[in-house]
Amino acid sequence: MKSQIRNTVVMLAAGAMLAGVSGCGKQQSAAAGAGRADAAANLAESLKVDLSGIKSQDGQPLLLALETKTPPPRPKDPDALPETDPGHWYDMEYAGWNTAKENIPASPKDGAIGKRVIAIINGDHPYLTAYSAGMKKVAEAYRMKLRILSPNWKVDVQNQMLDEAVNEKPDLIILIALDAKVAILQVRKVNQAGIPIILSNMHPDNEAMRYAICWTGPDDWGQFRMLAKVWADKLNRKGGVAYVRHAPGGSPFFARTFGPASELTAYAPDIKTLDMQAPGFEAAKTQQVVSDWIMRFGDKLVGICAADDSAQAIGIAEACKKAGRSDIVVVAAGNSKVGMDAVKAGEIHAITYQSAEADGAVALKAGADWFNGLTVEPVRYLPKHVITQTDVDTFQPAQW
Amino acid sequence: MTMHKERITSLLAALDRHRIYVLLALVFAIMPFVAHGFGTVNNLTTVLKSSCLNATVAIGFTLVLICGELDLTIGATLTLGAMLTIGLQPHLGRPGSFAVAVAAGALVGLCNGLIVTKARVNSFIATLGSMTILQGILYIYSHGSSVSVTGPADFRLADFLEKPLVPLLTPRVLITVALVAFAQGVLTWTRPGRNFFLVGGNRETAWFSGINPARYVVGAFVVSGAGAAVGGALFGLSMCSATPNLGASCLMDVIAATIVGGTAMTGGKGSVLRSALAVLTFTAMFNGFNALGFPSELKILIAGLVLALVVIHEAAAARRHEKARGRRPMLMEELRRKAPPQERES
Amino acid sequence: MSERTTQFTRSLGGLFHRAGIFGAVVLILAIGALVSPKFLTAGNLLNTVDSVMLLGIVAVGVAFVTYSGHYADLSVPTTMAFSGVMAVEMLRFGFVPALLAGLATGLGIGLVNALMVGRLRVNPIIWTLAMSYLTMGVMRWLWSNQQIYPDVKGGDTGAGRLFTELYRHEVLSRIPLPMVILALFAVAGHYVLTRTAFGQQLKLVGSNPSMAAMTGVRMPRTVGLAFVLSALAASVGGILITSLSKVGAYYNGEGYDFDAVTAVVLGGVMLTGGRGSMLGVLGGVLMLGLMSNILTLLGVDTFAQRIVKGAVFLAVVGVSSLLARRMGRDDA
Repeated sequence: MKSQIRNTVVMLAAGAMLAGVSGCGKQQSAAAGAGRADAAANLAESLKVDLSGIKSQDGQPLLLALETKTPPPRPKDPDALPETDPGHWYDMEYAGWNTAKENIPASPKDGAIGKRVIAIINGDHPYLTAYSAGMKKVAEAYRMKLRILSPNWKVDVQNQMLDEAVNEKPDLIILIALDAKVAILQVRKVNQAGIPIILSNMHPDNEAMRYAICWTGPDDWGQFRMLAKVWADKLNRKGGVAYVRHAPGGSPFFARTFGPASELTAYAPDIKTLDMQAPGFEAAKTQQVVSDWIMRFGDKLVGICAADDSAQAIGIAEACKKAGRSDIVVVAAGNSKVGMDAVKAGEIHAITYQSAEADGAVALKAGADWFNGLTVEPVRYLPKHVITQTDVDTFQPAQW
Repeated sequence: MTMHKERITSLLAALDRHRIYVLLALVFAIMPFVAHGFGTVNNLTTVLKSSCLNATVAIGFTLVLICGELDLTIGATLTLGAMLTIGLQPHLGRPGSFAVAVAAGALVGLCNGLIVTKARVNSFIATLGSMTILQGILYIYSHGSSVSVTGPADFRLADFLEKPLVPLLTPRVLITVALVAFAQGVLTWTRPGRNFFLVGGNRETAWFSGINPARYVVGAFVVSGAGAAVGGALFGLSMCSATPNLGASCLMDVIAATIVGGTAMTGGKGSVLRSALAVLTFTAMFNGFNALGFPSELKILIAGLVLALVVIHEAAAARRHEKARGRRPMLMEELRRKAPPQERES
Repeated sequence: MSERTTQFTRSLGGLFHRAGIFGAVVLILAIGALVSPKFLTAGNLLNTVDSVMLLGIVAVGVAFVTYSGHYADLSVPTTMAFSGVMAVEMLRFGFVPALLAGLATGLGIGLVNALMVGRLRVNPIIWTLAMSYLTMGVMRWLWSNQQIYPDVKGGDTGAGRLFTELYRHEVLSRIPLPMVILALFAVAGHYVLTRTAFGQQLKLVGSNPSMAAMTGVRMPRTVGLAFVLSALAASVGGILITSLSKVGAYYNGEGYDFDAVTAVVLGGVMLTGGRGSMLGVLGGVLMLGLMSNILTLLGVDTFAQRIVKGAVFLAVVGVSSLLARRMGRDDA
């Protein structure tokens, strides 16, 4: 009896599987029927698409003029340099600039209109909701078929989604890699399947850039170097500072700590780093760390740099208020509503302007340029800007 | 008539016992018709490949549950396995680093087992503590970054592990299947294997029948640690890299799959094979949902629903069972409810 | 010789047992004083309490669940987030309705947990895990992964400002409101555990469930109430954490489930149920705060702090269970 039922069930499962396999095998070939005769017409029409009128939610143009940058020469052995030397971080900061490309498919030059694109982001977060919104605006302009998948911060699920995407054979894959080094094989896999891939947002490893058309996103290192200068000026280029770090495992963990720290070794050598801690993105825990710092360092502590302008910044503000240390100059990575409110209220001196919508938009725009046969640089940075009390109003309402 | 009814009841009961097969069949029967491209060979290969990590981890985890204990360290241990395999490879070579990684996983399990059996700390607490410690060690080892190997030989091995040998089956899938089959075989057909169930079902009885329960509990933890490390190591090798957050979400997923697979938290009941099939069911389901374009919140919701329905159903069945056997733990409650009102007043 | 050693361990054990977690707290205070001269200042200690008061509020609730022998409430983080989001959403109707909505959300989740674990006797870990999936899914789906802001939802009514002031408010312009709430919760919790019939029944349920059932304890109601209290405390904590971070979002409260259990167990509430006290829970919470405080003052980085905290946790729990067994008070 028992074994009978088990057998029946197993047979049923096997049968269903077979039916599925045979049933869906046919669907694959239908997609490639676009017709090459009107490729030239499509290209002409695609090139005419004008994105300049599209705005982000904060009223800024969606696609701002991109930043151009010439990377300095690579030091001989970056690892031998101390962490406070910008050269130590060269491979991370300038990933993809000088990488030799391998097996990159040639642009079809048949226009971006109507292309099928799959974007795999890293997870769900209000920033990424805005990111997706920006990307969708570009997709609409080019009438692309865009699907955005989120692995909810799981590396193995992101792998699975990439496999699924490769099976679907879209015209382009856009990826926000969950991890810089895991990205190497992820990108290679897509590349080997003959599908063009663009990396976005998180800095990938140099090796990963070998197989990707380009990387687009915020210049995390650059904008933090910029922020560091504004910060140092406010501090009169002296005193002790501390860093509240990003979560470990991604490029911001380094960029938002050692970007400013290494910048200041040259720009303001009298500023000393007192401590760096990663309490996570929780106000109460950050508050405790900062209270402890104020206790431990006293008046020596004059500045704090945070990797996040929401919960971390609130924790810092609370600790400073409780200790009566409103003189501590706080800067943070930013662009959230909470961060801008804090800048307005004077709790934060400066935050970086990183447009989430533009972040998503430039990634797909790079793809559109590639379909249109335009030159796509290996790295495309979002424009950098530091928001202070004087111009915070121009950036509101915030995107997230 | 009654014969007929009895038959239906026993059929339903049997279906319930084998519910994971039913769920699996349902997913594979429905998905090809609603989710575009679900049934293609390529996609089914993807589903199988993606189940490997959690399925390997579920082996040891199920064994620990069968012993009536809980192991919260699996996520951190699998990360440890991946980290050491990749991170130590430049120093020890691939076989060496793999061996060290698995040994480290087993060592974590051994520590857990000894804390649970010798210091008699509840396993929930013991593994909660060792999980915290392990995460700290992982972050320190990796400096908060990730590790990778990028030699041509490494890429060749990764390609080999991920390319199907025969349709659907990649080497990593085959290794996972072999591990699951071996574990299930040992549990079903060998005396020591069956003893695990005895230990989990009733430790005193096990003791009286000449088994040393502590040894089995420690053994289960060691298998859990080593199994998680093997899963992580294989994943690391197939990606040539490892990240310190790799196993962060694995714990909750594996718990859910194991329970849906029919392993009881109370111990004494469970099956490695069914846990692995439950992992496969969940992976296939989510794969179909991806094709359907479901956002992650819907997937979380559905996973919650499945888990909730299964545990409610199980609790209801347990109560029916207890009633049928004449054990009525809620007797006072029942009497109170049935008691006539005047009696209550007096 | 051996007799003297046993006697010594026994008296040490007795001391440890009586002093419980506060022995460890005193030890840590002494270490702290050696580490930094500023450690034993009112300012520093206040800061430390400040940073763990939210955890304390949540832990008081979870303690009931652990005390009843039902391990932990893994739905705590989503309960916190959901209560906070609901409160922010309802700010449009005013400050008080918002608070009530937040608490009602917690009550609702607690009642479902109570029904499932109390009446149907579903495994508490698995059920609360399923519950956290369900509430997380619903919450993220309803608000489509967005975070919402008190000052926007509150509009011009000023309710938003009141809401963000909630966490920052200082009673008698001195003591932070959450600290007052924590004190009230702890006192109430202590009273309920020691002086009420419910507390006595919970003890019995926790230490010997079958005995409890035989003596006529209404198991579903007693266990259920523990879960309702846990959810209510979590929703108060959730409203406060939302007020602190000025954002209603699904990720608020992440990690509070395991943190709360850590504090509760560190405070001497045994997972086997029926043992421990509210005072101990407070001690456990305080201990966690003091450890972070000292380690940061020492300049130990976040990752190494984890290792130290995990090791201390295991050591305290291991030693206390060992001593309890040596003294013959526990055969578990």
